[in-house]
Amino acid sequence: MYRPKIIAFLCTWCSYTGADTAGIARLKSPAHFRAVRVPCSGRVSPELIMRTFDQGADGVLVLGCHIGECHYDSGNHRTAKRIPVLKSLLEFAGLEPQRLRLDWVSASEGERFSRIATEFCNEILDLGPVRWRVNEDRYRAGKVDKQPISDYDQPVFNQAVLDKQTDDMRKSARELLRSNQVDCVIGYEEDQRGRTRPTFIYNPDDCSRLVWNKNCTHNLAGYLSKKLNPGLTKSSERTSLSIAVVVKPCDSRTINVQLAEKVYQREQLHIIGMTCSGVQEQPRSTGHLPSAQTPPLQGRCLDCSDRIPLVYDTLVGDSPDYIPDSKGISPRALKITQLNAMAPAERMDVWLREFDRCIRCYACRQACPLCECPTCLYERDDSLWVSAANGWDGVGLNEKRTFHLGRAYHLAGRCIGCDECERACPVGIPISYLNQMLAREMETLYHHQAGDSVAPTPFVTILSGEERFL
Amino acid sequence: MSHIPVAERRTKIISREQVFQWLAQLAGEMDLVAPIDVDGYIFYRKIDDADEVVLDYTKPVLSIKDVFFPPTDKLFLIEQPAGELKILPPAHSTKQVLFGVRPCDARGLQVLDAVFINTEPSDPYYTQRRDNSILIGMACHEMGATCFCTEMGSSPDDARDMDLMLTEVDGGYTLESITERGSQLLKRFSLALDDFSTKNTAESALPISRYPYPSQERWLDHFSDNYWEDMAERCLSCRACAYVCPTCRCFDVRDEIQTGDDGSQIYARIRCWDSCTGYAYRRIAGGHNPRPENAQRLRNRLYCKFFYFSQQYGPDACTGCGRCIDVCPVGVDITEVLQQIAGITVGEQNNPEEVGVL
Repeated sequence: MYRPKIIAFLCTWCSYTGADTAGIARLKSPAHFRAVRVPCSGRVSPELIMRTFDQGADGVLVLGCHIGECHYDSGNHRTAKRIPVLKSLLEFAGLEPQRLRLDWVSASEGERFSRIATEFCNEILDLGPVRWRVNEDRYRAGKVDKQPISDYDQPVFNQAVLDKQTDDMRKSARELLRSNQVDCVIGYEEDQRGRTRPTFIYNPDDCSRLVWNKNCTHNLAGYLSKKLNPGLTKSSERTSLSIAVVVKPCDSRTINVQLAEKVYQREQLHIIGMTCSGVQEQPRSTGHLPSAQTPPLQGRCLDCSDRIPLVYDTLVGDSPDYIPDSKGISPRALKITQLNAMAPAERMDVWLREFDRCIRCYACRQACPLCECPTCLYERDDSLWVSAANGWDGVGLNEKRTFHLGRAYHLAGRCIGCDECERACPVGIPISYLNQMLAREMETLYHHQAGDSVAPTPFVTILSGEERFL
Repeated sequence: MSHIPVAERRTKIISREQVFQWLAQLAGEMDLVAPIDVDGYIFYRKIDDADEVVLDYTKPVLSIKDVFFPPTDKLFLIEQPAGELKILPPAHSTKQVLFGVRPCDARGLQVLDAVFINTEPSDPYYTQRRDNSILIGMACHEMGATCFCTEMGSSPDDARDMDLMLTEVDGGYTLESITERGSQLLKRFSLALDDFSTKNTAESALPISRYPYPSQERWLDHFSDNYWEDMAERCLSCRACAYVCPTCRCFDVRDEIQTGDDGSQIYARIRCWDSCTGYAYRRIAGGHNPRPENAQRLRNRLYCKFFYFSQQYGPDACTGCGRCIDVCPVGVDITEVLQQIAGITVGEQNNPEEVGVL
């Protein structure tokens, strides 16, 4: 007979005692439980839950104190906010959502404990054995048909507008450096191959190097934490006290998140905001023969309606006269919908196939303007959340998945959708689908859009009256 | 590996259809690694079905190095079934044919050979895989925008590191036996191939060097330049350059416990890719890091390619494949560094004679 493995994380102050109460009252509880006593349900990190599934759990039950009764005031508020989001993420990755459940049981509610435990256990019994852990070395199953990009609008860029913006931006940058208002201007330049790339200007005479064009895809706000808060990045290289940075509307959202997270002070920054009509898809090295097709507008630009940065000191450019016509849905939005429509097992195949290509270079993390931990949780020597194994007997694939899902989760409510992670990925993993799915989830659950204002992710704040949980 | 003298090399002509027939026969007898399309990206992968093989490609996203030096190598396993320790050797590598190898990738193997085979103690894992492999090269049709193999002493049709070499011509490919091993492999299959005789198919025009090649002295002189801080300011330390590189070969060794489905525990000593451009690479016990800055790390990688490696082993540790230029998300360009070290202001017209092009 199938005996499911169910791990229950029980808060020591309430549900653990609740389980005892059930025992003392001789109430029936299922025998498939392995209880793990934790100091607070807020202690149960997404990594713990994902690792529990990785190690073969068929279901994970998290029980905490009722809202308002937390021994630490708001620990369970965080649990209440996090677990629904983690659940959607795991569901998107192909796990049946019923396998993870959060509920509240107080110390006196032995009967409630027994009921929830039995209910959960029956549900898992109905679902049957879990399919999560991977044992294959190479994953070839599952494939989403990729929508040919040519089906979408070709971008129209007004060169005269871009040139005028370039001139105005150079003027502002020169003035800021001349008057010593800033030490450094971070902007874009063109290299000798004609590729646009980030540049750092210290001398007003070098401002003629700055450009503004349809390839300014980089999110330059990513350099700010390193320059303005060297302690965070363990670097002493060319730090500045005050910086001017060229931003698109999307990039300006990054600044709002960084300010909310107190990475640096607003006064240290002069923001040169560019009005934006989108940037075009950048050529990728795929190994296929190069095509002569005009690159389309980036998917994220089709989804974006911001034309003017949300925060700026100097605004460069009038309202753009070209506004992308997204025909209602971008290729990326379409793919997310397509994924959501699949059965969990099918979706898992798709993701495993994508993650299989990962070479663990972690370029996605390095390119992310908001991955700011001095040492990444997944690369710490003292807590091996993920193994160093890149692949053998499927071990590597489990690790790759943990890394990608974990990173996406850490960015929930913070990711502003600049897609730098996806652009940096040398093997083309569609990381932005994960981020976008979570961004939608945060909007639905908590009415939160990252970078709309100087507000931290809802995960670190308490529940408000109108937020729905459970 | 015994090379057949150039004058005695037999060149056959093989049609596209025959290539696929031959690959199907090969795949039936041994492991076949070839370029295939994986969700829009070309990779060298072990294949089951010869029809999957892609013949028209520029260069696979990752180099051929991971066939010989995989991202994770299980060096050995330790099991403790009944209180008794058992050390298990790794699985033996099997005979394999690598098809469609680009000259820059085959050159990269020479660099890895210098470290893993020709320097004592040789690496048994790498050596065994190398001994068990036959390389069938495929000449590039043309040089890509970021390619600079000609600067690094190679060329798009460089056959010297292959066992067999294919070059596209009208009506198919020329198939040339470069080594005895390659010749033997060809003989084992019944392919009705014509001799390739028309010697007049346009002499392969040797591509012109586009970038300078600085001397070792110049590298010595430029170590303390401010340039490194300037160029590395945009670097994200993302390591993508090193992971796609055909010659980057740094690794980390760890002992890890893996739990099997049945709860049994296996201890594995694993070797996994690492890169000097990552922060943690140089961190030592106690937390000190002698190369804490991006600029120091990126400079180290470039000096390793063109100075340290050449000093220690002879060849440069760069084959000019251009993958690092392709994947860098912020436009760090190795050919720009070569110009800088050679003393040419970036963007100026190069004069190859002045700076000594290889």
